Amino acid sequence: MVGLSSGEKHFIRGGISQDLRSDGRQRLDYRPISVEVGIIPQANGSARVRLGATDVIASIKAELGKPNPLQPDKGKVSIFVDCSPTAAPKFEGRGGEELSSELSVALQRCLLGGKSGAGAGIDLSSLTIVEGKICWDLYVDALVVSSDGNLLDALATAIKVALSNTGIPKVTVDLGTSPDDQPEVDVSEEEFLQFDTSAVPVIVTVTKVGRHYVVDATSEEESQMSSAVSASVNRHGQICGMTKRGGAGLDSSVILDMISVAKHVSEHLFSVLDSEIAAAEAAANS
Amino acid sequence: MEFVNPLTGFRLDGRRPNEMRHIRGEIGVVANADGSAMFEMGNTKVIAAVYGPREVQNKSQQLSNQALVQCEYSMANFSTGDRMRRPKGDRRSTEISLVIRQSLEASVLTHLMPRSQIDIFVQVLQADGGTRSACINAATMALADAGIPMCDLVTSCSAGYLCTTPLLDLNYVEDSAGGPDVTVGLLAKMDKVTLLQMDAKLPMDIFENVMQLAIEGCKAVAQYIHEVLLENTKQLESRRGK
Repeated sequence: MVGLSSGEKHFIRGGISQDLRSDGRQRLDYRPISVEVGIIPQANGSARVRLGATDVIASIKAELGKPNPLQPDKGKVSIFVDCSPTAAPKFEGRGGEELSSELSVALQRCLLGGKSGAGAGIDLSSLTIVEGKICWDLYVDALVVSSDGNLLDALATAIKVALSNTGIPKVTVDLGTSPDDQPEVDVSEEEFLQFDTSAVPVIVTVTKVGRHYVVDATSEEESQMSSAVSASVNRHGQICGMTKRGGAGLDSSVILDMISVAKHVSEHLFSVLDSEIAAAEAAANS
Repeated sequence: MEFVNPLTGFRLDGRRPNEMRHIRGEIGVVANADGSAMFEMGNTKVIAAVYGPREVQNKSQQLSNQALVQCEYSMANFSTGDRMRRPKGDRRSTEISLVIRQSLEASVLTHLMPRSQIDIFVQVLQADGGTRSACINAATMALADAGIPMCDLVTSCSAGYLCTTPLLDLNYVEDSAGGPDVTVGLLAKMDKVTLLQMDAKLPMDIFENVMQLAIEGCKAVAQYIHEVLLENTKQLESRRGK
């Protein structure tokens, strides 16, 4: 990104403190979200989300695998984020690895719950086929094509939309004669079960610039931030995960305030996403 | 396997032997880049972004009399049918990056931009055969979108030879059949070949036919790209209010 002059920095900060940002939004407004589903035909589910100039693609692939012996009744989900060099020249070669791993871990923390698998936004027990032997492995691959700030929110949105577009093939299981036999599994090509995404949370990043908070910061606004708190909120208004970025220390009352702002904004975001997903599915099916 | 039906002459996806897949190109898909384009050839879909001319990042590589052109090719994890975790910098990616760079460098007027760097990044979203051709075509459009001076459009297309028939624009199934695969990169108006690669073996006279078929494909792509760029320029002109 080209550097900002001190005049531009002053303009951004001043605009935020007067509730009129550089693109005309108010502090708690999201940029227009545009959603497409089913763009990767060979994946089980896929979505492309555009948040202003930020453009991300998420794809979900389901493969048969063996469950973790410590959690035999749950499937496995792994999330990988890749920052494409098309988004910024600094991502060429291995330059994007640091940001990719930071985003992958933040998404895992928000969507997948604790080490025991408890409290995951995605219901892992719906992914078992034969307890202890066969389960579905969901590979969530996200690609950042173009970056203009607020990558975490865009990625979480893309994953949520892709999950709502995901169809897990129906399987018929033949258990075999003895309990030690490896069961025969027949994966249907025709029938699919739609994934239940009612519990999948969204992530809202609240960025502190000066004394005010903004939601959905562009990369220019992010360059002026002192710190940012990303909270993952589900449909019932419960907090599912949290990440604080940025070096500046925050008072605990400020953090609680930012979380409640995130919760408030997430309600609007859920309703926007629901209508966008419905429109995108309708467009894909027509 | 019957790649060309002996009765009807159709290929596995219903095309005739000298028919290309449906192509689609779009400019300006990555807002942050100086120039960008998305190019589809059938189910193969790639995005190219160009950053430059800009200051050279690594001063030891700076060239005093011309621009430095660098290219990176990467495939998304979900681009192929089987999901595969791709390490950055594996040999195939490095080779294709080199191939794209060399084909495009032949056309970019690098002497007009000394001591600068032009970065071309290509990202494959869906791979169904002919990825390097789609990448070169997308990169040409992205360079045009960035306003980088070029002497000609570089376009690329592949052709093969299966069931004693030359086939234009192989998809993944036809490519993995084990027959020869000739990829040609062409400077369209000047009618000069900048890239020529082939694997497997072909008798010389058949090779000439197959290469000629690929060159025809390149010219058809160039025609299409020319129309897209012209349409884009007309829109820019109307937005300027002239």
